Amino acid sequence: MITITINGKEIRLAKPTTVLKAAKEAGIKIPTLCYHELLRLYGGCRLCVVEVERIPKLQTACTLTTADGMVIRTESEAISKVRRGILEFLLINHPLDCPYCDKAGECELQDLVSKYGPDAGRYKEAKRKVPESHEDIIFTRNMERCVLCTRCVRMCESVQGVSALTITERGGRSKMEPFSPTSFNCEYCGNCLTVCPVGSILSRLYLHSYRPWQIDREAETVCPYCGVGCSLVVQVRGEEIKRVVPRIGVGLNNGLLCSRGRFGYEFIGSPERLKRPLIRTTPKKQSTVNSQHSTVTELFREASWDEALNLIADKLKEIKGIGFAGAQRYIEDLLGQGITANLISGLKHSEVIMVVGGDPTAVNPILGLSIRAAARSGAGIGIIGNAKGLLRTSRGKTLQIIPPAFKEAEILEYLLAEVYRIKGPRRENHALEQRIGKLSEKPPKTDVAGLGKLKDMLLGSGSVSIVLGMDVVQRTDGHRALFAIAGLTYLLEARLYLLSDRPNEQGLIDMGCLPDTLPGGRPLGISDFRRKFETEWKGTIPAKEGITLMEIIEAAKDKKIKAMYVMGENPVFNLPGGSYIKEALGSLDFLVIQDIFLSETAELADVVLPAFGWSEKDGTYTNLERRIQLLRKTVNNTSGMDDWRIISSVSNKMGYKIGYSGVEDIMKEISRVSPLYKDMTYSEIEKGKCLWPYNGEPLRGVISDIPLAEKKTHEYNGSLYLAPERVLFHSGTLSRRSPALRKIAPEPTLKIGVHHAEKLGLQEGDSVTVSTAWGSINVSVSIDNTIKDNKVLLSNNFEGKGVFSLLNFSIDKITKIPGTEGCEVTIKKL
Amino acid sequence: MKTEKNDIKIKVCMGPGGIATGGADVIKVFKDDLASANIKAKIGKGCSLHKVGCFGLCARDVLVDVIVGKNKTTYQYVKPDMVPRIVKEHLIENNPVSEWTVGDDYYSFYNKQIKVVLSEFSEVDPEDIDTYTAVGGYEATKKVLTKFTPEKTIAIIKKSGIRGRGGAGFPTGVKWEICRKVESDQKFIICNADEGDPGAFMDRAVIEGNPHSVIEGMIIGAYAIGATKGYVYVRAEYPLAVERLTIAIKQARGKNLLGENILGTKFNFDVRLKLGAGAFVCGEETALIASIEGQRGMPRAKPPFPVHSGLWGKPTVINNVETLANVPYIIRKGADWFSSFGTEKSKGTKVFALTGKVKNTGLIEVPMGILLREIIYDIGGGIEGGKAFKAVQTGGPSGGCIPAELVDINVDYESLAKVGSIVGSGGMVVLDDTDCMVSIAKFFLEFTQAESCGKCVPCRVGTKRLLEILDRITAGKGREGDIELLEDLGNDIKLSSLCGLGQTAPNPILSTIKYFRHEYEAHIKEQKCPAKVCKDLIEYGILEEFCKGCGACLRVCPSKAITGEKKKPHIISVDVCIKCGACFDVCKFKAVKKE
Ligand SMILES: Cc1cc2nc3c(=O)[nH]c(=O)nc-3n(C[C@H](O)[C@H](O)[C@H](O)COP(=O)(O)O)c2cc1C
Ligand code: SF4
Ligand code: SF4
Ligand code: SF4
Ligand code: FES
Repeated sequence: MITITINGKEIRLAKPTTVLKAAKEAGIKIPTLCYHELLRLYGGCRLCVVEVERIPKLQTACTLTTADGMVIRTESEAISKVRRGILEFLLINHPLDCPYCDKAGECELQDLVSKYGPDAGRYKEAKRKVPESHEDIIFTRNMERCVLCTRCVRMCESVQGVSALTITERGGRSKMEPFSPTSFNCEYCGNCLTVCPVGSILSRLYLHSYRPWQIDREAETVCPYCGVGCSLVVQVRGEEIKRVVPRIGVGLNNGLLCSRGRFGYEFIGSPERLKRPLIRTTPKKQSTVNSQHSTVTELFREASWDEALNLIADKLKEIKGIGFAGAQRYIEDLLGQGITANLISGLKHSEVIMVVGGDPTAVNPILGLSIRAAARSGAGIGIIGNAKGLLRTSRGKTLQIIPPAFKEAEILEYLLAEVYRIKGPRRENHALEQRIGKLSEKPPKTDVAGLGKLKDMLLGSGSVSIVLGMDVVQRTDGHRALFAIAGLTYLLEARLYLLSDRPNEQGLIDMGCLPDTLPGGRPLGISDFRRKFETEWKGTIPAKEGITLMEIIEAAKDKKIKAMYVMGENPVFNLPGGSYIKEALGSLDFLVIQDIFLSETAELADVVLPAFGWSEKDGTYTNLERRIQLLRKTVNNTSGMDDWRIISSVSNKMGYKIGYSGVEDIMKEISRVSPLYKDMTYSEIEKGKCLWPYNGEPLRGVISDIPLAEKKTHEYNGSLYLAPERVLFHSGTLSRRSPALRKIAPEPTLKIGVHHAEKLGLQEGDSVTVSTAWGSINVSVSIDNTIKDNKVLLSNNFEGKGVFSLLNFSIDKITKIPGTEGCEVTIKKL
Repeated sequence: MKTEKNDIKIKVCMGPGGIATGGADVIKVFKDDLASANIKAKIGKGCSLHKVGCFGLCARDVLVDVIVGKNKTTYQYVKPDMVPRIVKEHLIENNPVSEWTVGDDYYSFYNKQIKVVLSEFSEVDPEDIDTYTAVGGYEATKKVLTKFTPEKTIAIIKKSGIRGRGGAGFPTGVKWEICRKVESDQKFIICNADEGDPGAFMDRAVIEGNPHSVIEGMIIGAYAIGATKGYVYVRAEYPLAVERLTIAIKQARGKNLLGENILGTKFNFDVRLKLGAGAFVCGEETALIASIEGQRGMPRAKPPFPVHSGLWGKPTVINNVETLANVPYIIRKGADWFSSFGTEKSKGTKVFALTGKVKNTGLIEVPMGILLREIIYDIGGGIEGGKAFKAVQTGGPSGGCIPAELVDINVDYESLAKVGSIVGSGGMVVLDDTDCMVSIAKFFLEFTQAESCGKCVPCRVGTKRLLEILDRITAGKGREGDIELLEDLGNDIKLSSLCGLGQTAPNPILSTIKYFRHEYEAHIKEQKCPAKVCKDLIEYGILEEFCKGCGACLRVCPSKAITGEKKKPHIISVDVCIKCGACFDVCKFKAVKKE
């Protein structure tokens, strides 16, 4: 405990902090400009100077650490004079173009000058003249306004880990510049924009289109793009989203966003949005399987909500949902529920992070930042496969292991066996340990470079995190990788993170959108649980387990399922074997699609219902760390309908009464029936601390029956394989309707390693035809020097050019996930 | 005379001045001539051609000592073509060339000086460690490592009273003691050889003249604080210093004075060179650290001070070259010996680079507290060309001007600070009545403004503003209130800048305003430059009564501003004149006037 005095006020502090923070705690305001709480200290603007007894020179409050007995004055004639002088200096160069500047109203310099500044400047020399730069597609740079606080530089370098910005030259000639004006490896996170105190970096998405004070409403809500669930504030004028900003101190992202969250909101206002319910006019067989693209009017006619809902109610005899989350479910079976509910912020403090099966900085960018932060503070990062976003900035202790084609599972099993051999059993989870022991008897042989080092890294640390991407899971032997990961997690007592590119995936799981569970993770097979829901819902629940996603597709194809109701999902585009899926869904007697755009799958539908988009509805969102947050409505949609209202209407029309009054009403039911959400209310969620295991208790413990298929190793000897790429600037199919993201990444490209590009005589930008057994697509080539194996990558975001339509699949027997590995590909230059 | 040839020694000044004036060529001709005169064969091994560090009187370079037996003769202004005659007359015929030797004033240059760090300059070959050990070098290392504890070593340094020679004057022993007491698995010692002030070359001379004294100082410092790694941060623009340090480090390693288990003790220490890119601010300790770490060389706020958190966050002592070079002598000769020089609070000697309008310019080493008058008149030999002594600028861009009236002050930290200047790193520029004080201030401001790193607002914007105002004043466009604005602005910048550069940048202006306000006023109010330096404020004209019409001015004028017939008074056309002053310099009859 130390005691300091600020302006005569005695302040007790538990531990030393900066004078600025201590003063802020005590309610004493000290002006700052270069200081920013997310950034490392700088001490350049000198506005925060204070007097400290026994220190002859003025000290900057933002950098000075408090010491016991320190006596500080934050206001005096000398201090005011210095502050006035500094602001006067800044105004010498800063143009007085506030009426024209977008930042006016929230400009820190404007505020400071009005409070601490001089009445008039004493200098008459010419101001600096630099033309505003519109070279970038997203940012406008106005360097006349720049006060050289370096906040943007510090943000980009030591938070984002990109270092795309720098100060060039010295002294009075200093300028903030991107390293190269056009392509500067920028990740378009826009976090520089957040921290710029003046109007030097502005977003072109809303340039000169509104002023901060012209916002009609705003709401704190959750990003629609991935499983991280960043908090953001949506600002609306009229019914148009003007801007999306993060807020410091709110949510797990604490003021940071990625390109998708910040600039990807425009899809909501897209003219292609579905506005009216549609009913098919053209018979299916003619239009579907063969035709590439048909227009809405060729296939459908508009209908009233009533007509559409009546039709659905009449036709629906049998509904099957879509099952998710094979990977998480399998891991939880082995290790217990909630094993993946780890806080993203914890990653920063890990000593060793093993990354397998994906690039966290692309799939879940904000989670990726925590890994970069850990790397910066000296953590060892072990990458199995390719995660190029972690290679670009982390130096020193980053280790990359390139497995031979599709040998990830072997490598993981080898690691597991080695760890078990050296560390021995933990003697907690008997069943698991038995399996590990068995596997260790005949460990796979492998001589991949760096593996020994990775093993030492893992064994040498008491604080290991494992980050698992779906690339090793979406495999015919995906369960093997999962088992090895589970084993390693268990033996190393590691924290496990599952990357998820699907927003609110966890929410669906929690609600029981699985073939064998009831809401709240209650197993369907136990009659006591069934009875509880039967009482609540006044009906009977079939005891027989449902089937999984790919089984549903197969059943549809075999006409065992006749009707299907799909909400917000696009199986034709998002599942491998595109034409097979099309055929399967085309065989249905009745298909309902509820979505916001006419998706590839919707083209096969009998009825299409226009749903509300992300910013048009209230609800909750559960992220990959199992944090429950509120999704809030900011934009009014007058033509669509809330999902819950659509379901209720259909149900009511079918004769089963559902009488919710609104989303809070639904939450009440959830908190009643789901032990995971026990006693949870909207007002509690609003406080921002609803995290696993909430008020409830983890339910399913470890189960002892561990399903493990016999080892059947596929041999892959082809020369080139096609695999999905998860890109930073897109996610799912929403982003393709966001003009800003399409400016940043307008087209899919085929990513190919240097070696293979050379072999095929390909150069950056060449047009090629990519063909597999399932079809072919024309795209342009992008050479990626981080690809070191024999895969070529293509994303699954762009219409008509999704990688999944080219991929074959075979189902993993245990997880039931379609494996897409080993799809041989040929590439022909056009 | 072919007898005592074994005793011949020739020493050629290879300090900064000597090198600049062609010392290397002089050496080469000596070598060739001695070889062809076959003296080498006859004189045997006793004679060696040393390359020797700075002699001190740079104005007379190349200086050459020719020592025959016990007789030393010093030649001044030696050019390569003079060597054959020296070899012939002096060495072969044993007849020193008296017209080329130095006179009495050369010896008065030395008499008031006391040499500590410069003491062995004429004995030591900087590229040969043995010549250093021959005069007692590395004895201090041996003494400290085998006989003293680190604490005892620090006690001696503290007792000597030595303060940092890099500018700030912080007591070295105290700095070491603080660092010693910080617990850490790793500590560093850094020798600051960035020397970036215009006109300063003290540190360069010390390194080039006696690099081992600096390395020895580092070894002792490292032992005292508990460091195992050291860096010398030296400007890349000093290639000879770099070369000599590299050789010295290699030789010291060869003698187990650096490396593991130094001299058989348990102490490990090694030194590496780090080349600076020549930014002045990189001499500031935190900027220097950033630069070694590979970041932009920019200062950061202190505290934390480097002794607590320095290089890579580890406790680090940074000392100036001269500070470290003093250390071996303090250990060898004792704290009392050292503190017998100087004043109560400023102990020992200080090296200055004496430049400007004195007769003897060069590197001098004087006891702290010496009178300014002694430096200027006894050592410097007074003002050149019989002009009037006006002021002395000390401390370079961070310092100030001391006017002639204060010529009787003592030169030490406290006294200079009291009159608004500083000892600084040791630059000392003597000014006479042809120097304009506003221009002097402007010269230094141009430097600091260009060297400001740009991190903090007051320095980045403020120095530029100061310079703009000075530009205006010297251009005759000064405004009422400019002097007050300069003072006000200057004080703000001093108060609020982040590092020493900004905190001292206004000093040259403030001190010249303090003592020469009238000169500023003359520029502003009367648009006159009293020293007739500011081009925009002077006009050249021809005095009819003196002009002989020789045409010399007409011929040199680069802008053809002068017209006139032969033997008739010429005329300067004011509109065409670019005020280069060529006519003024060329006129033998003093017929060109400057107003
Ligand atoms: C702008 C600036 C430049 C400096 N340049 C040098 C330099 O070139 N050499 C030096 O020894 N000290 C220089 N210093 C002082 C150093 O910061 C530091 O005080 C010194 O190296 C400490 O050594 P000492 O205690 O032995 O003097 C400079 C300081 C400032 C503010
Ligand atoms: S948007 Fe992000 S990556 Fe791009 S310059 Fe700004 S901070 Fe750096
Ligand atoms: S652009 Fe903005 S954040 Fe960056 S240095 Fe300039 S004022 Fe600061
Ligand atoms: S005072 Fe000048 S040199 Fe020092 S940090 Fe500030 S801008 Fe840089
Ligand atoms: S806020 Fe402290 S120096 Fe800028």
